[in-house]
Amino acid sequence: MDFLAFIDFTFLLLVGFGTLVGIIFGAIPGMTATMAVAVCLPLTYALGLNHGLALLLGLYVGGISGGMVPAVLLNIPGTPSSITTTFDGYPMAQKGEGEKALRICVIASLVGGLVSALVLFLFAPLLADFSIKFSYVEKFLIILLALSVIASLSSSMLIGIFSGVIGIWLSLIGDYSISDGGNGHTRLMFDFMEPYLFEGFSLLPVLIGIFGISTILLEAEKGVKRDTAGERIKLGKEGGFSLSVFKGGLTNLTRSSFIGTFVGMLPGVGGSAASVLAYTQEKNLARDSSQMGKGAPQGLIASESANNALTGGALIPLLSLGIPGDSTTAVLIGAFTLQGIQVGPLFIPENHDTWYVMMVALVLANFVMFVLMFFAIKHIAKVVMVPKHILYPLIVMMCVVGAYAINYGIMFDVWTLLIFGVLGYLIQKIGLEVAPLIIGFILGSQAEVYFVKSLESFGTYSIFFTKSSIAMVLWALIAASVLFAIAMGFKSRARQKMELSQMHTPSNTTAGKRHDSTND
Amino acid sequence: MASDLLSVSIDFETSHLFFPHIVHWLLAGLFLLILVTKVVPFMAAVKRGERTLPIIGEARDSKRFFGTLALICAYFYLMAVVGDLFPYTGYGFLFVSMVFVLLMSLMYLHDWTKKKLIIVVINAIAAPTIAWFVLAKLFTITLP
Repeated sequence: MDFLAFIDFTFLLLVGFGTLVGIIFGAIPGMTATMAVAVCLPLTYALGLNHGLALLLGLYVGGISGGMVPAVLLNIPGTPSSITTTFDGYPMAQKGEGEKALRICVIASLVGGLVSALVLFLFAPLLADFSIKFSYVEKFLIILLALSVIASLSSSMLIGIFSGVIGIWLSLIGDYSISDGGNGHTRLMFDFMEPYLFEGFSLLPVLIGIFGISTILLEAEKGVKRDTAGERIKLGKEGGFSLSVFKGGLTNLTRSSFIGTFVGMLPGVGGSAASVLAYTQEKNLARDSSQMGKGAPQGLIASESANNALTGGALIPLLSLGIPGDSTTAVLIGAFTLQGIQVGPLFIPENHDTWYVMMVALVLANFVMFVLMFFAIKHIAKVVMVPKHILYPLIVMMCVVGAYAINYGIMFDVWTLLIFGVLGYLIQKIGLEVAPLIIGFILGSQAEVYFVKSLESFGTYSIFFTKSSIAMVLWALIAASVLFAIAMGFKSRARQKMELSQMHTPSNTTAGKRHDSTND
Repeated sequence: MASDLLSVSIDFETSHLFFPHIVHWLLAGLFLLILVTKVVPFMAAVKRGERTLPIIGEARDSKRFFGTLALICAYFYLMAVVGDLFPYTGYGFLFVSMVFVLLMSLMYLHDWTKKKLIIVVINAIAAPTIAWFVLAKLFTITLP
């Protein structure tokens, strides 16, 4: 129990602060947990490892949970993962049951978060133990699997793979590092870039640029629409909430929590997939799903427990394999590196205390989230009204601090923000996908080392198939994810055709086309 | 025989180009596939007038969009310039941030009322000051 010594008052304070800031970010439409972590990064530079973790995990949990507030009150998902919360939350709010809906969400979130923390606690060390035996060949295949899973869950597999490969390409800019056994030569750049880009782009400025600056650009393009100030937030009458809502919802709660955890484990898959899957499962399996979409608590339970369960799930591959489970954990990986933590199979066995501290912070953050949201929901709900013209300049400012300070004052890192901000904007505009690109960028240079070193030592490509039984299992999983993507592609195409043929009114057909284009 | 086909030897001197080379071929192949399966049908739809080109064909608040880009560029550039005048103080960040936050807020503000303007000005002065104080002074983080 040595780790308890690390948990002091400041630690508790930081978890609380992180969670609160996270909730606020999550609650503001357009701001995400990823951005909360990115913007608050500079604060962790000065904190020690344990305190930094407390803040980061608080931000993560709070950021994911906060999305429920505008989802219920304004019908706008605060974060992508609360999209299914709007289906039942907003109808409830319109019936004057906003507060009740939010409290249901809060409890579901708490359960989801705790279930996933438990799974993380039990499962991550096992996975780490198992993966410790991996050689470069298996490690390369794991990365390949990660990328193929992300790609297969993108709206179009081809686009997903292409985005991922662009990410890998970007990560190769710079030298083939001698410390990784490379020859130290640079590639993919002109000579004049060498002073700036010898070591390639720094991870965190890239992430902050893609998630922070590009969001601002996308909003600026839309003219930074006037805020929802005109609309009145309707919290509805006091009370009306009792735990009896959860009666008969236990199966739903447990199922959705596990779905969320599992989806979280898949690399690069955001929370929206988790909550959508949990929601549709509840719709298919519930005894009575007729009210879902019209304001049924069961829909809220499914959606919110799943999206909060994502937190623990996404940390599993991060801590045991060094592969981020979603975009927020992608930023976390950078923050950890900064604290001197190398995440991967050796992390848990070699840093027992840190691992326990993380678990404490994670569980604590869930409880803080619960207390804050359950009792102070009225005040937090006002956050959705913060005007964007105040908020956005501050976000750019904090992005700058985060990027500049990361390598102790390099101005090029700040320009990286802009480069990747614009790139992120263009990527989203032309329909490429950000998540695979980021994961590709993070894993690209490792993939190179594992790939080239495997070939150097074995001298044949066939080694990737014949090295071990684990390698074959990994190939089977890769094939399964590809087949899954193809099957899903056919299914959604068939459904779209059916929907299109059912629609007759002109307004509906345009909606159908739009839907079509987002899925292409 | 298959093993001969698959065998490979990597020259250490050029090993830094081995993987990028493969990635380039992959990118080219994928790009071609996308060109044929997505871009060509898309362009055909554009010609028929069913879809619009991204970015070029879309409605955009040009003033705010390009204004944002210009402001950010000026902000990054001037921060370093002013920062060099007062090295190791973080004043470059502090002063330039104030101006930046003020201008960007004004640009994003739709209806200029007295009350809103006062809030914008207070925010532009207070927020960078707090950030500068907490980060540069309390936490001694390097700022431009």
